[in-house]
Amino acid sequence: MVFPSIEFAIFLPVVLAVSWALMPRPRLWKPFILGASYVFYAAASPRYCLLLAGLTVANQLGAVCVRRARDERAKRRFVAGTVAFDLGVLGLFKYYGFFVDEVGGFLDGIGLGMPLPLLTIGLPIGLSFIVFQAISYTVDVKRGLLEPAGTLDFAIYLSFFPHVVAGPIVRAREFLPQLATPRDPRNVAVGAGVALIMLGLVKKVAIADLLAREVVDPVFGVPGAYAAPDVALAAYAYAAQIYCDFSGYTDIAIGVALLTGFIFPQNFNSPYRATSFRDFWRRWHMTLSRFLRDFLYVPLGGSRSGRLRTARNVMITMTLGGLWHGAAWGFVLWGVLHGACLVIERPLRGRIHAPAWLRWAIVFHVVVLGWVLFRAESLDLAGAFLSRLVEPGPATLWTPVAVAAIVAVVGFQLLPPEPLERIRLRVATLRPVALAAGLAVVIALVGATVPSQGVPPFIYFQF
Amino acid sequence: MPSTDPDVPERPTGRALRARDGVLVVAVALALLVLFEGSSVRSAGEEMDPGLERSVVLAVGAPTGWVADRLPFDDAADEALGWLSPDDDLGGGSGFDAPAGAPRGGAAAVSPDSFDPVELGAEAREPRPLRTLLVTGDSLAMPLDTELARRLAEDGDVRVVREPHVGTGISKTGLLDWGKLAKQQVGDLDPDAIVVFIGANEGFPLPGSDGRESQCCGPEWAAAYGSRVRTMMDTYRQGGDARVYWLALPLPRDRARQEIARSVNAAIDVAGEPFRAQVRVLDLVDTFTPGGGYRDAMEVDGRDQIVREADGIHLNGTGAEVAADLVLDALRRDFGE
Repeated sequence: MVFPSIEFAIFLPVVLAVSWALMPRPRLWKPFILGASYVFYAAASPRYCLLLAGLTVANQLGAVCVRRARDERAKRRFVAGTVAFDLGVLGLFKYYGFFVDEVGGFLDGIGLGMPLPLLTIGLPIGLSFIVFQAISYTVDVKRGLLEPAGTLDFAIYLSFFPHVVAGPIVRAREFLPQLATPRDPRNVAVGAGVALIMLGLVKKVAIADLLAREVVDPVFGVPGAYAAPDVALAAYAYAAQIYCDFSGYTDIAIGVALLTGFIFPQNFNSPYRATSFRDFWRRWHMTLSRFLRDFLYVPLGGSRSGRLRTARNVMITMTLGGLWHGAAWGFVLWGVLHGACLVIERPLRGRIHAPAWLRWAIVFHVVVLGWVLFRAESLDLAGAFLSRLVEPGPATLWTPVAVAAIVAVVGFQLLPPEPLERIRLRVATLRPVALAAGLAVVIALVGATVPSQGVPPFIYFQF
Repeated sequence: MPSTDPDVPERPTGRALRARDGVLVVAVALALLVLFEGSSVRSAGEEMDPGLERSVVLAVGAPTGWVADRLPFDDAADEALGWLSPDDDLGGGSGFDAPAGAPRGGAAAVSPDSFDPVELGAEAREPRPLRTLLVTGDSLAMPLDTELARRLAEDGDVRVVREPHVGTGISKTGLLDWGKLAKQQVGDLDPDAIVVFIGANEGFPLPGSDGRESQCCGPEWAAAYGSRVRTMMDTYRQGGDARVYWLALPLPRDRARQEIARSVNAAIDVAGEPFRAQVRVLDLVDTFTPGGGYRDAMEVDGRDQIVREADGIHLNGTGAEVAADLVLDALRRDFGE
């Protein structure tokens, strides 16, 4: 079930009303919200609910064993076993096909055409997010930052419908304390939630999907059919599309969670405003950045052991971060590119005093270049795309609407945040009837821009 | 109570309201939408594949549609917001009103188009040079459309127009009527060749020859479906000026869908008969599912490779490459290298 759909428009009011009615009685509320979350997840594929339930049981078992283990060594073993199980599931569903394809091709290339077992395995929606959240729970229990939750609470945490399919990656210790006491029905951030839902709908349906349809998909599909002006426009358009698509999803997820009484962490903070790569990763997919920092970079040694080790740790973290997005060399190279930029930038920090606009321009354009690797279906197509950037020819896709959308997406992030925050606050403080009318108008307006085939899935659903 | 736990994220600023206000905001917003867009829920439900989700949406859509039908707001909203729509109005189902089937009560006349002139020792009527190729259909046409466009982009002389319409079908016309769309595509693009790959969303009831609805997938349904396909083929071939390449469906994994696919393929075969001089039905069944047995993988470039998506319906990138080979071979036969 995607947020901008008729199915969700039917699901949400029913779940909201029943959820708040049952909230004072946790014994009723918890099974209800768990059931509702599984119904939401089952809309993608009912079979994958079994996998979700399996991950829940395995990680809860792991966390309880970790807590009960007497010595540190045993705790480590239980954590390692649970994390290995999680990563094994992720590896099987997400990377098996890629592995077989690459290894099979390699073996064939050196004359050892050994047939590897081919399996067609569908990727369960949101699996990468679910696995990361499960890992955060078990590891935080091992670190003593969290007590194992009740099984029902943990099951709700892992499957909670606002974040189950594409994050944000909410850590167990952010969410479980909110489950400990019923949410206060007299103090709900309705205004902020509705404002975020409206903003998310506009970003996803009116901007991201428009840019995908009009510019990005045609050019990235067949770059050879376009010349430099269109290819350059497509690169900028994809930067705008992926931001609006993913941050739009996050806005709706956070907004829906607020309406149910729960608070999720922020996931984006004007990333195209960044003037360094470190700054970019503090603004883009913030919950993934901090997960990679806390559960990969720091355990690897972080920046504690000299320049070379730090560089190695950054490269490993960013390469695996790239691979987390998908089983393709483009994602790996995208991670390597960002890792290399972070490594190169680190010793220069404070030594080179370039003007802010120049630093912004460099970071922004490298980020846009990186998105080409991220979006292209193969490295060959990424190469074809980049080679067309120097091919003179006509600009056939430069419509005022597309150009205005790109400029607006990047431009709004460069503006000082205060005036925009004032507008958001203004909406968030409207009275209920005005909020309802605003929401209806926004849904009607963005709904009118949806093509006959409906709203395409969010980009991050595939991860 | 708001949590005082330091790990809990900070709540965004804004007016704090009661939970019932939150429910009220969502409910009032949806009530307003029912007044102005109520029929959309019903239409969306009618277009969905059978199942629980469809039943729920239709259960909500029936009363909301009923309300919207009796008030003037729905039409007013459509008129006010129509300019925002990226599509032309191609729904409604009138595009197949005059099927190119046999006249009732008598045998259809055999037309010269029923023969491939070469088979009869006559000279083939030379097609127009291939300048514009339209690749269309439902989600099955993806990523075949991109694969064909990439390969033909290499020589640069052929303009490939990709027009997949995801979620649509010939047996459902509420949101998109393929009869109308085919005419519009021909009028707008004047394509020299058309590749059609459609059939992932079929199986909806169709009006039979007696005017009553026939359920998939018996002869009545296949005849009705075939008539629609024939209408489209006739539109696309543009009186014999253009060539049409209609791809039969490789069988899907699911048995219920296999039954639909077999019926669709039989209908496509029969539909193309009167236009054999211009319409080529490309058989993907033999290539991907020989003997009628579904398979995920087959030998491509000397080794076994997966050719189907995990859903067991669509072709994946490798499968699309194989299908593109077949289409390009057929194009070469008609248009030369």
